Amino acid sequence: MDFGFSLSPSSAIELDTLDSALYRKLCRIEPGARTCIACGSCSATCTAAEHSGMSVRKLLLGLQRGRKAEVERMLSNCMLCGKCTMVCPRGINTRRVILTVCRLYDNVEGTL
Amino acid sequence: MIDRLANGFDPFVIPFMVGMIFVLAYCGIGILVILFQLSREDRRRFLLSLVKPATAWKNIKDIFLNCLIHVKLWKRNRVLGFMHSSIAFGWFMIIVLGHLEVWLFVPERIRLLYYPIFFNFFVAETETTLQGAVFFFLMDFFLLLILVGIALAMIKRIRSRFFGMRRTTRASLLDTIGLYSLWSIFPLRLICESFTAHISGGSFLTVPMNHFFRWFFGNELNYLPTWWAYSIALGIFMLVLPFTRYMHIPAEMMLIPMRNAGLKVRHPRRGFARIQVLSCPGCGVCIDACPMSVRKENLKDCTVYLNRQIRHHNERRITEISEKCLMCGKCSEVCQVGVDGPLMRLKQRELKKYSINQHYRNIRPDSFPVEGTGKVLYFAGCMTHLTPSIRKATMSLLSKAGIEARMMDPDGGLCCGRPMLMAGRQEQARELIRLNTAIIRASGCDTLLLTCPICYRIFKENYKLDGIRVVHHSVYFNELIQSGLLKVSKDESRTLVYHDPCELGRGCGIYEEPREALLAAGNLVEAHQNHAESICCGGSLGSLSLNYEKRREITLNAFENLTAEQPDAVVTACPLCLNTFSHYADRPVEDLAVVLDKASES
Amino acid sequence: MLLSMKETILVVGGGIAGMETAVQLKALGLTPVIVEKNSSLGGHVAQWNRLFPDMTPASKVLEPYDEALKEVDIYTDTEIASINSLQKEYAAVLSNGKTLRCKAVVFATGFKLFEAEKKEEYGYGIYDRVITNRDLERWFDTRSDERVPAKPAAIGFVHCVGSRDVKAGNSQCSKVCCITAIKQAIEMKELFPDTEIYCFYMDLRLFGKKYEDFYINAQRDYGIHFIRGRVSEVAETIDGRVQVKAEDTLSGKPVKVKLDLLVLMSGIVCDRANNELARSVSLPLDEDGFFRSLDNIAGVTRTDRKGLFLAGTCSGPKTVPETLAEARSAALQVYQYLKAKKK
Repeated sequence: MDFGFSLSPSSAIELDTLDSALYRKLCRIEPGARTCIACGSCSATCTAAEHSGMSVRKLLLGLQRGRKAEVERMLSNCMLCGKCTMVCPRGINTRRVILTVCRLYDNVEGTL
Repeated sequence: MIDRLANGFDPFVIPFMVGMIFVLAYCGIGILVILFQLSREDRRRFLLSLVKPATAWKNIKDIFLNCLIHVKLWKRNRVLGFMHSSIAFGWFMIIVLGHLEVWLFVPERIRLLYYPIFFNFFVAETETTLQGAVFFFLMDFFLLLILVGIALAMIKRIRSRFFGMRRTTRASLLDTIGLYSLWSIFPLRLICESFTAHISGGSFLTVPMNHFFRWFFGNELNYLPTWWAYSIALGIFMLVLPFTRYMHIPAEMMLIPMRNAGLKVRHPRRGFARIQVLSCPGCGVCIDACPMSVRKENLKDCTVYLNRQIRHHNERRITEISEKCLMCGKCSEVCQVGVDGPLMRLKQRELKKYSINQHYRNIRPDSFPVEGTGKVLYFAGCMTHLTPSIRKATMSLLSKAGIEARMMDPDGGLCCGRPMLMAGRQEQARELIRLNTAIIRASGCDTLLLTCPICYRIFKENYKLDGIRVVHHSVYFNELIQSGLLKVSKDESRTLVYHDPCELGRGCGIYEEPREALLAAGNLVEAHQNHAESICCGGSLGSLSLNYEKRREITLNAFENLTAEQPDAVVTACPLCLNTFSHYADRPVEDLAVVLDKASES
Repeated sequence: MLLSMKETILVVGGGIAGMETAVQLKALGLTPVIVEKNSSLGGHVAQWNRLFPDMTPASKVLEPYDEALKEVDIYTDTEIASINSLQKEYAAVLSNGKTLRCKAVVFATGFKLFEAEKKEEYGYGIYDRVITNRDLERWFDTRSDERVPAKPAAIGFVHCVGSRDVKAGNSQCSKVCCITAIKQAIEMKELFPDTEIYCFYMDLRLFGKKYEDFYINAQRDYGIHFIRGRVSEVAETIDGRVQVKAEDTLSGKPVKVKLDLLVLMSGIVCDRANNELARSVSLPLDEDGFFRSLDNIAGVTRTDRKGLFLAGTCSGPKTVPETLAEARSAALQVYQYLKAKKK
């Protein structure tokens, strides 16, 4: 899975205009999501990584950078096995992050 | 014995009749609604089971033993058992004997609902007979039994610790009304029967009291008000009954036949679930049992409160409670009524709708070819990949025993599907089951060996692998030891304690094999709470919302329970328990395979 | 002008912090007594081969203390059984039965190296090719360790083992592992020029003097590969090597590499054995388990208890020069404390 941070001007991330409602809602439900240090442990251990490019690290980054479509794609093969939760050095409840995003993806205002 | 009043009626019976008719109507309609909510197949199965002699007999036996005698409760706590059975059985006997009396002495009144209850008001004893004396004696005896039970119940309210219960539920207002009316019924019955004992007859309790009352009051003006009070207490109790925890009395009589018919919770609110919720007596045994209860903030997340929230239709709390649960199964293990709390929560989770729904259409089973020809296929599973000691020891033990084994996922495979299943996402779990089944079938193995109880449980319960033996390593290695294929030497100086993983113990009923295997390697002591009552390590994948920090105390408490006898090492048979405990352990925590591998000869 | 004070000062711990404190106290005219639980002085530094950033032999750092501590009372193989606070002094009962009366106590109890077997996924104690930073330093000294192969084709270093890890119970950064990994990587590259060396890091924290230069050397002169990603799984291959899985977070791709040796950078963690001692004198501990300083700016070596001082890594991860500077500061604090009391 290519995450393509190419340098063409059109692909620049405009931080002041992008939509991060989903990320903010997620952080309200699982505040641990904000503590990610992008170490990549979750991606490396992920059972679904080689199938859909799943990575909680990229998911959290994607939500903060307004790249929702990529988030949807990578989530499609997650098996909820919990390895990412086990290896996370910050103790983030990654399974809750995943389930919350899956639930609120189309309806950010939805309740849990 | 003759009818004292010509019309067989007095206005004081009205409160009782109102309550009685209300309860009967409520329960009658309730049963119809619940029958309607059952799926067609379930309904047919249930109704058929009622007329099948074997199940009908079992129903009667179970209702008698559980609802009246409270056998399960006796086994757990004798004082509580005595308290409940004295009230339930005593009351039941009073009702039965009351009907018998009516049937024997004034058969023409048998159609009046209130007559057997207020028998002593309506009759006059014309001559003393042995038959009458026996009845009076029995009536007084059972009343005394109930009164002892009520006295114990009062003590329990004041000091629950006296009964070995650390925590008990907090009663709601209606529950309190129900409780006080229930408590007052029997003392009132004693008083009013005593007042009329010189007319209607009595025995060792009521006769002396009758003498005392007549000496003390000197007139008979008091007896009608007490009969009124007795009737009102009964009326109030029955009027509030459907809205209190006492609904468990009629509901459990429905739950037992439904369970005996093989019905299971299919929807978290309807049908069987409804009966299950109503059957919860709110005793609070599950509060002490719940591993989360070590944190005060979780006290209201155990099954008794789930049932209460379902009755109150509090959707927010129902979701919260359902997602927090570790699904360790201990509450249903200790539940006297047999409420399956984890299954209720699971069904609740299944109701949840997601915008992104996982699928595995892009994954092909042939991208996981299993090399080799060994008949034993070892599936390490996700968790075991993070606990390499288990994987290494397992392979080493297999080779020591001369067994040709292959790994299904040497470089990582697919998830077994159990985590998805526990999250209430059946569709996804089914797809993973289909993929793994294809991989296993293609390998040509005849035994599937698992070191992870989470995997083991789903392979056992949800996979269709006919012809292939699914076995957990604790069972498999124990067989190899007992058959002599594995030579293990015992270290007499080392004491071990075995932690029963939830999924293996309560989940699959495997308790003895791991202990037998470990006995070959060292001395074994038991945890304070063990076997079916072992405490979840806190790492369970069952909980969707508890985060790492909030699981800490659960783990520490479980570990303290394990090390009560000061063992040298803690042994478990689950990679997740191993990982969880090792974060906080003050002594070695090892998997069963590691212990056996160290103790065995090559 | 020095005060003429023959007061006894107890120094708990005989690592570089304790030794340096004692030397300075002696120079200030006081009478330090060192109590060390091990059989020899030198602590962790004595177990190290060379020190960053100048590859100074550790023995050279320790050498002067032999001479400087000649007239200092030293109890080795001795632990503190208890410390009792008296009216104007402390009485320490030692495990050898002696009781020491002292005017002040300096805690220089140091740290513990994280027990790498606790991170089971890295396979320390399970796989034959996994060692720790300390094991490697021993190997530099002795050149005998079965786990280190004669001709490694590839070596990996895992940073932050047991540091910045709430699961390991240590959320703090150990400060010295990044630079130690670079130092050891360079040393290995010097010994095995044809070997590929990979450092797996989360963040590189090279804050000290000359550290960045060291990093540049490692990149430019030694061709060491730096991969930004924490190792999450280590597996053993059939030929007995280890395969490491991580994410190369900069390219966003998973990486796998087979190695002949994996070195785990065990971090600096608090020594829980000191908890009891701290409790006996009501000395508070921080959330990370280290001793709590009076404050973290001007009062690092002081505590909120009179007459009790801290030196070195017992209050948190530190480098060797920081530890030495703190030891001197602690000695001065003790001196000023006694002087103020005298008045």
